[in-house]
Amino acid sequence: MSEDQEKFIARLVEKGLTGDMEPINEIQDRVLRSKVKAALVKAKRVAKTQDTKEIKNDVSDKTLPGEQSVSETLNEKIGKMIKEKFPGSLDNENIENYIQLSPDRWFEIATFLKTEPSLFFDSLQCQTGIDIGDNLLEARYNFHSMEHNHCIEIRISVPKEKAIIPSTEQIWRIADWFERETYDMLGIQFSGHRDLRRILLPDDWEGWPLRKDYQEQETYHGIVVPKIKEGWE
Amino acid sequence: MGVVHGQEMVLNIGPQHPATHGVLRLQVKTDGEVVSQITPYLGYLHRCFEKHCENVTYEQVIPFTDRCDYLASMTNNFGYVVAVESLMDIKVNDRVEHIRVIMAELQRIASHLLGLGAFGLDIGAFTPFLHMLRDRERIIDLFEMTCGARLLYNYMWVGGLSHDLPVGFVEATYKFLDYFEPKIDEFVNLLMHNKIFVERTADIGQMPREVAISYGVTGPNLRASGCKWDLRKNDPYSIYEQFEFDVPIGEGIKGSIGDCWDRFYVRVLEMKESIKILRQALASLPKEGDVHQSIPKKIRPPKGTIYKRTESPRGDLGYYIESDGTNIPYRLKMRSPAFTALSVIDEIAAGWLLSDVLAILGSLDIVLGEIDR
Repeated sequence: MSEDQEKFIARLVEKGLTGDMEPINEIQDRVLRSKVKAALVKAKRVAKTQDTKEIKNDVSDKTLPGEQSVSETLNEKIGKMIKEKFPGSLDNENIENYIQLSPDRWFEIATFLKTEPSLFFDSLQCQTGIDIGDNLLEARYNFHSMEHNHCIEIRISVPKEKAIIPSTEQIWRIADWFERETYDMLGIQFSGHRDLRRILLPDDWEGWPLRKDYQEQETYHGIVVPKIKEGWE
Repeated sequence: MGVVHGQEMVLNIGPQHPATHGVLRLQVKTDGEVVSQITPYLGYLHRCFEKHCENVTYEQVIPFTDRCDYLASMTNNFGYVVAVESLMDIKVNDRVEHIRVIMAELQRIASHLLGLGAFGLDIGAFTPFLHMLRDRERIIDLFEMTCGARLLYNYMWVGGLSHDLPVGFVEATYKFLDYFEPKIDEFVNLLMHNKIFVERTADIGQMPREVAISYGVTGPNLRASGCKWDLRKNDPYSIYEQFEFDVPIGEGIKGSIGDCWDRFYVRVLEMKESIKILRQALASLPKEGDVHQSIPKKIRPPKGTIYKRTESPRGDLGYYIESDGTNIPYRLKMRSPAFTALSVIDEIAAGWLLSDVLAILGSLDIVLGEIDR
C-alpha cells in the first residue's frame, strides 16, 4: 500500500469516526472502499476498549480502597499484635495481603490466633505447601473465623534442606490431614505432629511430587515407571 | 468362675466395599461389636490432580475438576471458574450468571438424591434408592440436553459457558420441578419417617458444633450440627444474593442435634430450598446475552494468589491458585469438602457399633474421587 493511500484511508477513518460516512460511500473502487471500512471497524473497536478500560479503572478505583482498608486494618492489627507479643517473628513488613512469619514460634502464634477473643480464628480453611524456587518451600494457611467472619493468610517459608515447621495439628484438628498431605506432596516436616505419614501416596514412595525438581523413581515394586509421555505434553 | 476377656480384633472395611462409596479402606479396631478406633487409608483413587494442573493450561484444568467430584461436576466447574475469574477480574453477563446458578442448583439436587439414596442403601433400604435414582435421571437428562454429557460436563468455562441453553430447556426444567416437588414428600414418608430408618440413624454418631468446626467439616454436615453457615448466604458469590432462600439447620427432631438423622433431614430440606432458587432464577433469566461474550482469548491471570470458596453440595469447595503470569497455573490446590468430612470419622464413630459406623459413613456423603484427587 502506498503512503498516499494510507494517509487517504486515515483521513476517511477520522471522518467516519465522527459519523461522516458520505466520503467513504462515495469511493468508486470497491477494494479501496472495503479497506477503509475495515480500518474504520478496527478504529471503533480500539476506541471502545479504551472506553471500557477507563470505566473499569474508575470502578476499581472506587471499590478497591474500601475493600483494602477493611482487610488492611485486620492484617495490620494482627501484624501489630504479633509484633508486640512475639517480637522478631514477622518476616516481612509488607502485610497487605498476607502475613509472612518465621517458623520458630509458629505454634505459640497459632495458639494465640485461635484463643484471642477479638481474632478467634476457629476454622483452618486451607493448608497447603508450595515450592517457590530459590531453594525455598512455603507453607500457607488460610484461616477463617466463624464468629467474626474474617479471613487471613499466613505464609511460612523454610529452606529445602531444613524444612521443619511446628505442627498445628493439636490446635485445629483438620490440620492433621492437611499437614500430612503437605508432607506427602512437598516433604515439609511438621514437628510435633503425632501421626506424620504419607496420606495419598503409598508409604514407600520416593520423593516429593509437587517440588519443581521432582524426578519420578525408576521402578516401583519392579514395575517400570513410564517417563516418556507420548502424545501428551 | 472364669473372667471373660474381650479381645481386640482388626477388621478391614474395603478397599472394595459398596458401603465405602468408592475405593476407601477403613481399618477398624473392634472389641466385640463395639468399634474403638478407625483409621482411614486413602489414596486408592489418587490421580495426581494437582501435579497435572501444573502442566496444563488454565482451560485444560476444567475437565480435571469434573473428574474430582464426579457426582457434582457442575459445582466443581463453578468453583474453579469463579476462582480464575476473580483472579483475572472478569465479569460475566447476567444470563451466564443465571444459567450457572440454575445448573449448580440442579446439580445440588442430583447430588443430594444420590447421596440420600446411597445412605438408605447402606443401612438396608433398597427401594428408596431406586426412586431417587429415577428422579436423578431426569436432571441428568436436562444436563444431557444442555451440553451433551451426562456426568462429566466441562460446561462452565472461564468467562462463560460452552453452550447456551437449548430451545425448550426452561419449559423442561419447569416441568421437572412441578413433577419433583411433590416427590420430596414421598421420600420423606418412604424413608425419613420410616421406623426402621429412624431407629438406625436417630441419636447415632452425633457431631457437636465445635468438633465439626475444628475438623473443618462444612456444608450440610456442619449445618446438621446446628451451625447456620452457608457460603451462598454468608459470603455470596455469583448472584446468590439476589435470591431468597433459607438455610436449613439440624434441629434434633427425632434424636439429638447433629446425629445421622439430622444430616439426612438437612439434605432433604436443602433440596426444597434449591427448588425455590431454581424457580426464581428461571423466572428472572434474561433473554438476551451471549454466553461467549467475556471468554478471554488467552487465559493469563496476572501474578498473584487467590483462595476462593464456593458452596458445593458437600460443603466449602476451595481453590487455592498461585499464578506466575503465564498460562499455566504455578500451583493449584483443591480444598475438598469430602476430605475434611472423612477426617472426622474417627472422632464421631469410635465407640459405636460396627453397623452404626456404616450409617455414619453414609450420612457424611463422601465422594472418594474428591478426597484422593
